[in-house]
Amino acid sequence: MSHRLRLIWPPVLVALVFLGLWEGLVAVNDIKPYLLPAPSLIVTNLSDNFSGVLDAALYTAYTALLGLMIGLLVGTAIALIASRLMVVNKLATPLAAGLAAVPIIALTPILNNMFDITSRTPRVLVTVIIVFFPIFVNVTRGLLQVQPAQLELMRSLNASPSRVARLVRIPNAIPFFLTGMKIAAPLSVIAALVAEYFGGPQQGLGSRIASSAANTAYGRAWAYVVAAIAVGLLFYLATLALERLATPWTGRARSV
Amino acid sequence: MSTPMTSPAVQAEGVWKVFNEGQPNEVTALADLTLDVAYGEFVALIGPSGCGKSTLLRVIADLTHATKGTMQVAGMSAAEAREQQRYGMAFQQAALFDWRTVRRNVELPLELQGVSKQDRSKRAMELLEMVQLADFADHRPWELSGGMQQRVAIARSLAVDPPLLLMDEPFGALDEMTRERMQNELLRIRKETGKSIVFVTHSIPEAVYLSDRVVVMSPRPGRITDIVPVNLGDRNEDTREDERFFEAVTAVREALRGNRGLANSDMRARIGEV
Repeated sequence: MSHRLRLIWPPVLVALVFLGLWEGLVAVNDIKPYLLPAPSLIVTNLSDNFSGVLDAALYTAYTALLGLMIGLLVGTAIALIASRLMVVNKLATPLAAGLAAVPIIALTPILNNMFDITSRTPRVLVTVIIVFFPIFVNVTRGLLQVQPAQLELMRSLNASPSRVARLVRIPNAIPFFLTGMKIAAPLSVIAALVAEYFGGPQQGLGSRIASSAANTAYGRAWAYVVAAIAVGLLFYLATLALERLATPWTGRARSV
Repeated sequence: MSTPMTSPAVQAEGVWKVFNEGQPNEVTALADLTLDVAYGEFVALIGPSGCGKSTLLRVIADLTHATKGTMQVAGMSAAEAREQQRYGMAFQQAALFDWRTVRRNVELPLELQGVSKQDRSKRAMELLEMVQLADFADHRPWELSGGMQQRVAIARSLAVDPPLLLMDEPFGALDEMTRERMQNELLRIRKETGKSIVFVTHSIPEAVYLSDRVVVMSPRPGRITDIVPVNLGDRNEDTREDERFFEAVTAVREALRGNRGLANSDMRARIGEV
């Protein structure tokens, strides 16, 4: 337990010092809230409007979670097919890279037109597209990057390709999948949030940040930003927990 | 087992292996290679890199096909021998699976054969006893040292009790002390199990210490240039300082240099032909 505490207190201390400096800087220089609100102002806004912030956070988190799950499924499924069929691999890889290069900002208004703007669908789709790439790339690599000696061993043991997939390729890809998910999980929150900037239902964090800022309620805007950070962190930590559960054998190499 | 003892453990006849045939980067890895390995015999393949020793092992294992010639293992084609699991294989990398415990790594060949959970667990524990790693059955491979990992790989190669072991520089990545310990261990296992062994190495003392015959190969094109018989009887640590050991080492070294003149045959006469 004391070992854990020793791990935890340095970052906590750094955060406290940082927040203290921030508060002091704002007070001493009399910085206006529209430039940079003091942490105390953000905290006040957060506690005054807690249920509002929580509702907005839940709304955006749900969009992100939906997009993340669909993106994980689709990315993994296409990676599985691509690893078995070189043709699919050659087709899917540039396509995936192309999708990853699509600016989410340009895409959202188009998807809003294509699908019902009053629904969650366009936002979930944006999230799926963002999540797809890191998952597809990582899982494909995990399925293909098996030690040559391990593949020779399986051949010497007369194992069929489907058993090689089940016994070697898929377990080999699990840490890669989780690495992809560690990138994709916080990204899904950002994608869901940014997608809300382009109209549609107003109850999400992105919409609330935009409208608060437009109403010069900067403290409130920052309170939503803090909530967005918290949701992103929560997604990341959930992935870390999943990794610990799913890959007990990688305990030695795990860091972040 | 049921294999007729009249056919050798391995019989290569006029084996050629040509990579990229007909292309500008064509490489003849094996040229007209003929070799018999008798039942219970320990044969080392030695030679500089590119001499085709690993390729020869892979043709025996049916991991790659001979371009020309016939390769028979335990009296059947190499492909049939692989399908019927008539050999076990160990590589320079232990090639263990991190997501399986040590015991379940050893069980893998049995699992692929459809052996029941109880039986394969029992067999794996016997083999881990043999390589003195029973205490580590439930550890993960990466918790073990390099030498211990190789012992797990050897236990795995013995899982289906094949008559033949194919080993591709299994101790190549180990330090000298561990390596010598592993050599003794392998000789003990061989004595206990009576397996035929084909062992690829680039260490002359290792080849001499372990084997009944050292097959010396040379590159471009890969072929057998000499076969040095080694008659050292039962090995133990004193063998490494025995005069006959050094004579055999010298004979192999000379053969590798291509000095197959009088000195060499003289040496062979003293070691004693089989």
